[in-house]
Amino acid sequence: MSSRVTGRKILRWILQAAGVITCLVFFLLPAYWMMSTAIDPAAAFRGSNVLPQGFTLDHFREVLGRAGFGRFMRNSLIVAAITVALSALLALLAATAVARFRFKFRTAILVMILIAQMVPLEALVIPLFLQARNLQMLNSLLGLSIVYLAFSIPFAVWMLRGFVAAVPIEVEEAAYVDGASWWRMFWSVLFPLVAPGLVATSVFSFITAWNEFIFALTFLQDDSKFTVAIGLQRFFGQNTADWGPIMAASTLITLPVIIFFVAVQRSLVSGLSAGAVKG
Amino acid sequence: MTATKLAGEPQAGPGAPPSQEVNRRRGGYQAAMKRRPWLLLGPALAVLAILMLWPLGRVVWLSFQDYGLRELNRGTSNYIGLENYAEIFGSSYLYTVVLPNTIGFAAVCVILTIVLGTLIALFLQTLPTLWRYFTSTAIMVAWAVPAVTGTYVWAFIFEPANGLATNVFAGLGLMEVGEVNWFLTRFSFYAISTLNVVQHSIPFVAVTVLAGLLTVPQELYESARIDGAGSWRQFWTITFPILKPVFAVVTILSTIWDFKVFTQIWLMPGGGGTNPELFNLGVWAYVQSFAQSEYGMGSAIAVVLTIVLLSITVVYLRTLFKEEEL
Repeated sequence: MSSRVTGRKILRWILQAAGVITCLVFFLLPAYWMMSTAIDPAAAFRGSNVLPQGFTLDHFREVLGRAGFGRFMRNSLIVAAITVALSALLALLAATAVARFRFKFRTAILVMILIAQMVPLEALVIPLFLQARNLQMLNSLLGLSIVYLAFSIPFAVWMLRGFVAAVPIEVEEAAYVDGASWWRMFWSVLFPLVAPGLVATSVFSFITAWNEFIFALTFLQDDSKFTVAIGLQRFFGQNTADWGPIMAASTLITLPVIIFFVAVQRSLVSGLSAGAVKG
Repeated sequence: MTATKLAGEPQAGPGAPPSQEVNRRRGGYQAAMKRRPWLLLGPALAVLAILMLWPLGRVVWLSFQDYGLRELNRGTSNYIGLENYAEIFGSSYLYTVVLPNTIGFAAVCVILTIVLGTLIALFLQTLPTLWRYFTSTAIMVAWAVPAVTGTYVWAFIFEPANGLATNVFAGLGLMEVGEVNWFLTRFSFYAISTLNVVQHSIPFVAVTVLAGLLTVPQELYESARIDGAGSWRQFWTITFPILKPVFAVVTILSTIWDFKVFTQIWLMPGGGGTNPELFNLGVWAYVQSFAQSEYGMGSAIAVVLTIVLLSITVVYLRTLFKEEEL
């Protein structure tokens, strides 16, 4: 009897271990293949070698030196920083309005914010390109950041709404009792309490701006203004089979995103599926 | 934390009892409270109006025109009514190439994502907490890899000469290295895109369904087991009905995302607008606008894509509204 139970336990354990390994291999494969090829001195002959055939930083040197990825990364950082700062501020104000006040058209505005997240970028890029062309904003990093606000704000409002609503109303009332005005309460009570949510939201705005492709592809025509996504595309076009440097550049783009993403993953999931999963 | 600190601070107004102070303030409050939400919403709504509502109006307006470089440079308009739409819906190209590439691709991706994501969530649920956390974090990495770099990795893996998949298949004796270029034919091109997109979208589904699974009371399964129900029946009689809203939301969100896939097609070798066999609605709209400079035609295709997505969104909203008051 007891040996049958331990037998089943061991079998269960083996199946679980096999499942975990399958998951790890399937989901980590692209990231692993990218990073291990980036440090492989013989990247052009990687074939199906599971391990890299040595260790070198030459590909990174080439990408940052000759290919100018340092500049592309700086451009992407500038665009992402402007997007994050503006969308965090505007989204926090808007989220406070929908989470703390009951007013006419509140539901209509929430529905509009949800719909805004579904609009395909392929439809927005045509009129916004024509407009930016007329305004001479096509090669401007600022212009690109402003455009990114259009799709970072709706998601940021949606996510922050939950964080603001989670602050108990009694905390606000205590501030009023102490004689604080609404704005004083907002900045010295609500703001610090919502700060963790604001960090998570900002990380997602950052990732959105850092990864964005279609607008950067359309708006930026001058090499010196390229963001990382367009820089990589151009580099791939010029050095198609040069997988070492291509994967090194990809690693430089991917690594910060993975770190940020894993750090705030839980908030992202609850933000996206708000309403479907309670708690 | 902050609240208790504030409560401990000395009173701002000396002397006056707190209750009277509050009452006096409440009078002016009513008007301010009415205005305040709109003051707070104002900046965000203004940005969305300028960057989303107005462009959407403009794209519809463009879709009724033959709008090219000439019109753009002169600033004129050139109305042709519904001709762009007549051309789109009148050509067999839409039905034989673009729609299968858009709808067929999205359907396969959504089904694979939901089925595999659910299976992974069910598996993760059986793991001890620490291992569950570790494995789900590793799975999240696949979601974190940006579409741009992820697509190049898959292009590398399936490269005809040096790719991992190519060499593995050759090692198994299935084919010769350098014999097949998978990026040239439509079916294999989209098979690789499917792998790319599905691998990237499973994590969201798996983690969301897992969060739902953990809320299902365990007693329900215990009594089902006493009644002799197997895992398959337990899933369909207990898990699925309880998690129906979760499945509805992940299915609809996946459908919306998989319909507007652009980057993962555009960056694959041959996907960047050179091979019309490989276009989906998004890529077609983009190529018409920016490669052919036919902004009117491109806008009309983009409008079709937007209408499809908005109809799916309406279904999404109905599901959400059934669940909770916003």
